[in-house]
Amino acid sequence: MAFLELTNLVKQFGPVKAVDSFNLAVERGEFVSFLGPSGCGKTTTLRMIAGFELPTSGKIQINGTDITFVPPNKRNVGMVFQSYALFPNMTVASNIGFGLMIAHKPADEIKQRVEEMLTLIHMQGLGNRYPNQLSGGQQQRVALARALAFQPQVLLLDEPLSALDAKIRVSLRGEIRAIQQKLGITTVYVTHDQEEALSLSDRVVVMNNGRIEQVGTPFEIYNFPQTEFVAQFVGTLNSLNAQVQDVADKQLIVDGQLIKSAHALDGAQKGERVSISIRPERISFYGEIQKVNRMECTVENIAFLGSIVRIQVRSGENVFYMDTFNNPFLELPKVGDKVQITFSAEAVLVLRQSS
Amino acid sequence: MRKINFWAWFWVILGGLYFFLPLYGTLDFSLREQRGVLSLLAYQNVLNDPRFRDSFTYSALMAVATIVVGMLLIVPTAYWVHLRLPQARPIVEFITLMPFVVPAVVLVFGFIRIYSGPPLALTDTAATANMLLMFGYIVISLPYTYRSVDTGLRAIDVRTLTEAAQSLGAGWFTILFRIIFPNLRVALLSGAFLTFAIVIGEFTLSNLLARPAFGPYMVLLGQDRAYEPAALSIMSFALTWAAIGLIQLLGRGAPEQRQLGGVH
Repeated sequence: MAFLELTNLVKQFGPVKAVDSFNLAVERGEFVSFLGPSGCGKTTTLRMIAGFELPTSGKIQINGTDITFVPPNKRNVGMVFQSYALFPNMTVASNIGFGLMIAHKPADEIKQRVEEMLTLIHMQGLGNRYPNQLSGGQQQRVALARALAFQPQVLLLDEPLSALDAKIRVSLRGEIRAIQQKLGITTVYVTHDQEEALSLSDRVVVMNNGRIEQVGTPFEIYNFPQTEFVAQFVGTLNSLNAQVQDVADKQLIVDGQLIKSAHALDGAQKGERVSISIRPERISFYGEIQKVNRMECTVENIAFLGSIVRIQVRSGENVFYMDTFNNPFLELPKVGDKVQITFSAEAVLVLRQSS
Repeated sequence: MRKINFWAWFWVILGGLYFFLPLYGTLDFSLREQRGVLSLLAYQNVLNDPRFRDSFTYSALMAVATIVVGMLLIVPTAYWVHLRLPQARPIVEFITLMPFVVPAVVLVFGFIRIYSGPPLALTDTAATANMLLMFGYIVISLPYTYRSVDTGLRAIDVRTLTEAAQSLGAGWFTILFRIIFPNLRVALLSGAFLTFAIVIGEFTLSNLLARPAFGPYMVLLGQDRAYEPAALSIMSFALTWAAIGLIQLLGRGAPEQRQLGGVH
């Protein structure tokens, strides 16, 4: 049995179903992220695990115990908030020791644990400071230490890095992952930032309109999206209009050019118009690299994105992007040039619509 | 530009004169009890009067009781409205404004009518009459105390702080007394000093409930003496300003949430 189990979870606010038929099993020590756009129900689900929202129906179990209707202060679940939520009237040490103080732990034990936590978050010697004397990154590290100090069964993080600037976000997410792995604590992380979810998690739950679109490892989610929503939401994706040529041979026509897919065209008929998807980084210039599919296009725009150059090309009515590493010694085509591009049959995704 | 400055100063000085001249007149009058010389005799008389000490002590104690009981009623109510019943806020605000609409004299006659006979004869003993007076004071100070507590609650993220404390195992009592009350320090102080100022000078409730408060003493003194009431006015004015000054002074050290740049 999984350590954290959410079974048929539904949350309804009036006529709106914020979370619908949510089923998930999280193993002990696993790091799972809920990823999705605003309003997709990820935070509501997290708040139901924390006990701040009661589910309309369904069950939440931690380590085999049904906690669906257990009050939040009896769940032994640590939570980190986007706005840090440190108690302004308490020092860093008091904030970290608050959960232990509530649990009536001896003063010596609290002191020792607070020191351990300060070491863990690399903030030794700052225990006497008040939250308003810390930077945003430091405040969030204290919030993390506070949530971990009382050794909760599950750690919940609700967009903890959203209020921080980009550089701090990257450094802090590395710290969060390192601490989680060191302590081996079961963690649920809510974010709308795909990079954050993919880099931190053992598994990612992609959500849309209160439902799970796909659950998988970051590799699976990115490389093998099961729905168009997942493919569009995670990473950049080209959508092309195609016509089915041969269902059995998985052949399609894009602007009069024949291409092959490695994915089954289940349920499609010959001549039917379908939408296919290709990730920009799966497309290369035809030459040194030669894949099974080849198309002739016109370069419309070239954008430098630092380490990557994004080239916009057109083939008939289809406009799409291809990404190539920025190599200053490699000659790039110019806008208006005719180029040949190539991609593998595996790169051509034929995605089902979200339910 | 110069013209604008001139008129600005003109109105400031005119307003200042309108405010301070009567005050100066009262101060000057209070110092003239001895013919031909300026003296503090009126102040000495007031301070040496045992009725002054008794009535002031009584009112000060009533003010403290009003502040403590009032805050224990108002803070949890305002907190709950913020947290769970935001839709009830207009109703609660309307109720807290009632003392502006219903005069204290109406309130006290209502008290006397209901509580001067069985089953709740609160006016019969000094202790229960004091309690009745204290609750009357809570009502008349409600517009000020509720507003200051409400403003304080708006300044902190009540919901998230509550949820953070809950996730750490805290119950409602702990959340209120360890998190909410300490973070409302400035708001509570403002409310407390305003209540203190109101209670010290209040006349109607204490007079009609026949309690030995400072307000009725001031009126009584005004009927018998000439210079001492002026001295008392100056003293109570100084007391009110001292209270406002204390709010400002203590408010300065309040913890505030501000974020510094950088991670280290």
